[in-house]
Order: sequence, then C-alpha cells, then structure tokens
Amino acid sequence: MSTSRAPRIPVEERLFSLVLALLATDVGLTKSEILSTVQGYRQRYDTAGDNVALERQFERDKDDIRELGVPLETLDDPAASGNNQLLRYRIPRGSYELPLDISFSPEETALLTLAAMVWREGTLSGESRRALLKLRSLGGAASVPELEYAPRIRSRDAAFEPLRTALDRGVVVRFDYLKPGDAEPRRRELAPFALVQHQGRWVVAAVEPDTGSRKNFLLSRVVGPVQVTTRPFERPADATAESVLAGLEALRRSNTALVRVVEASDAEVRLSKRRGTEARGDDVLAVHYSDRQVLAEELSSFGPEVTVLEPQGLRDLVVARLRRLAADHAGEAA
Amino acid sequence: MTDRRPAPQATDKLALLLALVPWLIDNERVGVAAAAEHFGVSVAQIRRAVELIAVSGVPGETNQYQHGDLFDIAWDDFEQNDVIQLTNLVAIDESPRFSAREAAALIAGLQYLSSLPEHADRSAVASLMSKLSRGASAEPSQVAVDQNETDGVLALVGRAVEQGVQLEFDYAGARGQQERRRVDPLRVESQDADWYLRAWDHAREALRTFRVDRITSPALSATPIAHRAADVALPETLFSGSPDDVVVTIEIDAAAAPLLDDWSPVDVEPVAGDRTRLSLRVEQIGTVVRLVAGLPGRACVVAPPAARRAVAEWAGRAAQNYAD
Repeated sequence: MSTSRAPRIPVEERLFSLVLALLATDVGLTKSEILSTVQGYRQRYDTAGDNVALERQFERDKDDIRELGVPLETLDDPAASGNNQLLRYRIPRGSYELPLDISFSPEETALLTLAAMVWREGTLSGESRRALLKLRSLGGAASVPELEYAPRIRSRDAAFEPLRTALDRGVVVRFDYLKPGDAEPRRRELAPFALVQHQGRWVVAAVEPDTGSRKNFLLSRVVGPVQVTTRPFERPADATAESVLAGLEALRRSNTALVRVVEASDAEVRLSKRRGTEARGDDVLAVHYSDRQVLAEELSSFGPEVTVLEPQGLRDLVVARLRRLAADHAGEAA
Repeated sequence: MTDRRPAPQATDKLALLLALVPWLIDNERVGVAAAAEHFGVSVAQIRRAVELIAVSGVPGETNQYQHGDLFDIAWDDFEQNDVIQLTNLVAIDESPRFSAREAAALIAGLQYLSSLPEHADRSAVASLMSKLSRGASAEPSQVAVDQNETDGVLALVGRAVEQGVQLEFDYAGARGQQERRRVDPLRVESQDADWYLRAWDHAREALRTFRVDRITSPALSATPIAHRAADVALPETLFSGSPDDVVVTIEIDAAAAPLLDDWSPVDVEPVAGDRTRLSLRVEQIGTVVRLVAGLPGRACVVAPPAARRAVAEWAGRAAQNYAD
C-alpha cells in the first residue's frame, strides 16, 4: 500500500515513523539508511543526489523528537570514529519507556492534572499538556474534586523563555539589567542555573562565569532581549532551585520593616497575613521582605493606611514614590 | 526564542500518537468517544490519530513496510461502530517517559499546589516528585515555585463545600469598609502568589471575586449552599465587567504594561518615551487608585479627571503621614 500513497507525508507521520524505526533497531541505523527507508524521508530520497535538504530536515526532526523527551542516541562506529556518515542512531527502549514500577493513583493523577493546569497560560502550557497526555497514557483516571480549583502560575516576563532555554542547554547568557536606583541598565554575562518564583516574582539564579560568585536577578528588571550564547557551563551540583528558594526565604526573614497601619484597614488585614509578619504593639507590624524596592511598591499601594517607620532607606523610597505619584496626578493630564 | 519554532502542532500530534498506542494496547477494545474524553482531545483528533497509527510501522527486513511490519486495527469495527481495537502491534509497548521540561513543569506545579490545604501532605508530594524525576528521560531542569500562606481560609472553604453550608467572613472591599459576607464558594483561583475565592455573594445576589488575604474571621454557617460550581457558569476572567464599571485610561512604561494584562486592557497603544497607553474597566475608582499606586513603571492615570484626583488625593494624604 505504501507505493500508492501520495508523496506528501504529514509531518507527524514522518516523526512517528522515525520513532518506530529507531525503537525497533538494536544496532542503530545510519543516516542514509534512515533517509532511504523510513516513511516520510524515503519518498524524497534521491539515490543519486546529495540529499542536503533532506538531511537538514532530519536534523530538525531529531531536535523535535528530543524535545518530547524521546532519548535519541548516536553510536560512533569504533572502526571509523568521527565519520558522520557512519554514525548510527537508535532509541534505547529502556530509556524511552516509563519504568514499569511507576504508576499513579487516582488521587495522584488528579493532583498532577492540577499541577499541569497551573501552567495553562504561557510557555510551559505546551509541555504540561504533553505531560498530561503521557499521564493519561498510563490509564489512570483522575478523581474529581467537589470544589473547583483553578490555580495559575504565570511567566509573562519576556526573559523567562530564553532563560529557560539557556538553563536546559547549560549555556551562558547576556542581558541588560536595571538595578533599582541606577540610571542606566548594566550589561551582565551569566550562567543561569535555576529559575524560581518567590513571593509571586520570577528570579533567575546565576553564576558569574569569571568570578564564580552566585547572584539572583529579578526577571522584571531585565531590560531588552536575553542573548543565549553557545558557551557551555556546567551547573555545580549544589546549585539547585531548592537552595535558591531557601536562600531567598532566609534573606526575606532577615529583612524586617516596621510599619504603622490604620486599624481594620486593608493594609492591616493583608500585611498581617504575610508569611512571618509579627505584631509589635497595637498598630505596628514587623513585615519581612526580600527586596526593598518591591516592598516599597507594595506599601505605596496601601496609601495613607501605612506609614513606614524603619528602615530609613525604605521610608525614603516610599515617601519619594508617594510624592511623585501625587505630582504626576496633579491637575489635568498632560 | 526566535531561532527555532518547531511545528508545534506536529510534535503535539506525535505526543498523542505515542501516548495513545500503549493505552489502546491496555484497553483492547475502546470507543473513539471514550478515548477522546480520556485524553482530553476531540473525537476527530482521535480518529485521525488512529487512522495514522493503522498505516504506520517499521521498514522491516525488506525495507518495504510489508503488512506485518505495520500496526493494524479492526477496520470494520472502527468504521462502522467507532470502536478501536489494535490487531497488530509494532515497536511500542509502554508509555513514554516525561521530558526533562515536562517533568520540571509538573514538579514546580506540585510545589505550588502544596499551598492548598488538601495537598499539604509533604511526604505524598515528595514521593510524587521523585516518581516524576525517575520517570523523566533526563534530569528535570531547575525550576521551582515557593508556597504561599493561605492561613486556613482555604481549608474552611473546602469544608464548607464538603458539608454543603454557606461560608461567612469579614471582608473589606477596595472602598475600605468591613462587612460580614455570606457566600456559596464556587471556585478557588490563584495567580502566582495571590489567591482568590469566587463565590455567590448572598447579600449582593451576584457572583463576586474575593481576595483570600482580605478575608478575616471565616466561619461555617448553618445555612445550606444554594449554588454549586456545576450549576454556575463562571466567567473566565477574574475581574469581569459590569455596566456600572468605570473606564480608566492609564499610561505606563511599555516594559511594565504586561502587568495589567489581567485587567483585559483595551485600546492599547504606544506613546512617546517608550510608554504604553491603555484603558481598563474597574468596578470602582478605589480599585484603580490602589493599583496605580503599587505598580512599577511610573503608572499614571490619564483619565477620567475624577480618577486622577483620587490618586493625587490618596498619594497626597499618604505623604502627609511623613510630614514631620
């Protein structure tokens, strides 16, 4: 039946056939074997020509398949090491298949379904959708909760996607970063090793390749595009997302601001509910924070319901902000 | 990320094919509609996937894709009864592993959900995370999300729904005055660190969205719930418009403009100095005052004049606190 088929093979059919062919081989297939025999390539294979376009297609297909988590392996021919034409490709079954001892209960399936839903907006939505397909593949149905949940994490910062790409590839990036208080952004060259969301804000943790020191950067302060280089970088074993979150939380705990709040105001209710807030007397709260500028913005939104007592630097920031806000809104709009 | 955008549709379709085959093997005979429901895709997508699987296979010894080298299905059953049954299998037996990025997305999602009272069991979540790590084809990338405080309010929301009784709490809206509310909880939503309760408000006879961190003194009432999530069509956006809304025009640094996306801004246009001008609807001016006062990127209300005056007054009064 294959000979009667129209020459236009859908992309997914070519990719599916490639996965099947590479799963079925133990010794691997060379590139020319793949291009000349596998459905979707063989129709376009020229036995006399150089097949450059088709080879490029194969390179892109390999990337697409790997993106799905399919472990595509290359085996070098020991007799002709380095000869590209003799490289053999295969998908080792053991690293392709989900280990048999991994299964999920209906409760776990429900929880994972919700965990995937968290990303329904933004760049991770495609990945969580595909993860769900794989989860469903195992058969388990999810239990349905009585109360609907619609949790959502967002990744709207333009820097998020390129930084995640750099993270996956283990490469150095360059971007301009505007520190609060600075007039101009500064160029940074960094090896990102983790992306974390702390208190609703995305932070990239990175190593300065030249000094080896580790620093955190708020994605919202990255100015302009992130340049993803090809310079490789190996993540130190102890440089984990968990350790970054723990560090940020420790920093938050160590910074305390004293604020006076108006009784029964929105400010009192919400600031009291922040993690770790303590009451100091009737109308004074000790509030923790990891970034002074961010806290100044939050406190300003409460307007006259809040007065910052200390630290002085935070007080100055809030006062300056409020005065500018008042000035910006004086009289008719420009 | 402009360097390479793989045809996302094709890889999504491939993911479905690779997930569908092992499930069909386990389920032997299954309806097209049941498969569509299980995978959360359309009946047409399942039908196309099955048709493709049925003619796919490996080149085989002859390199000619002979009949035995291909999957096969019970065609009559498929075409006449919409039932899928694989009759010949090739190459695939088991479900595929998660990719590193897929596993990382699920793991970070799980961490985030630990904020919810029913998922606070750390050891259950930890064991699930380790299963995902083991089930990934490469080490999941380092992405993590911290947990947020929801201080028992959500636990009580869950109990109210479970017991079928209305929930009461004190709530101060953007105008500031506290009021006792009585609601039927419908849905818990969140956006990053902010949690919201969407509920039927009995005093207002309307759907309302409540910030969880503004809720105080919550308690279960004795009155049965009148509305359940299944009976009410909740609008997709948290802040839905009503005819009494005020339309406010704001100018903000272009880089910070996405922060206003939740408000479904309209008439978005660039203005001089890398600024963006946009309009959004708010229920009351007090909402936009707090919003603008807290935004980065030098947000500024352009119109209406009443909203400008309200911000100036709010900020001026706040600055007075420091006039010593």
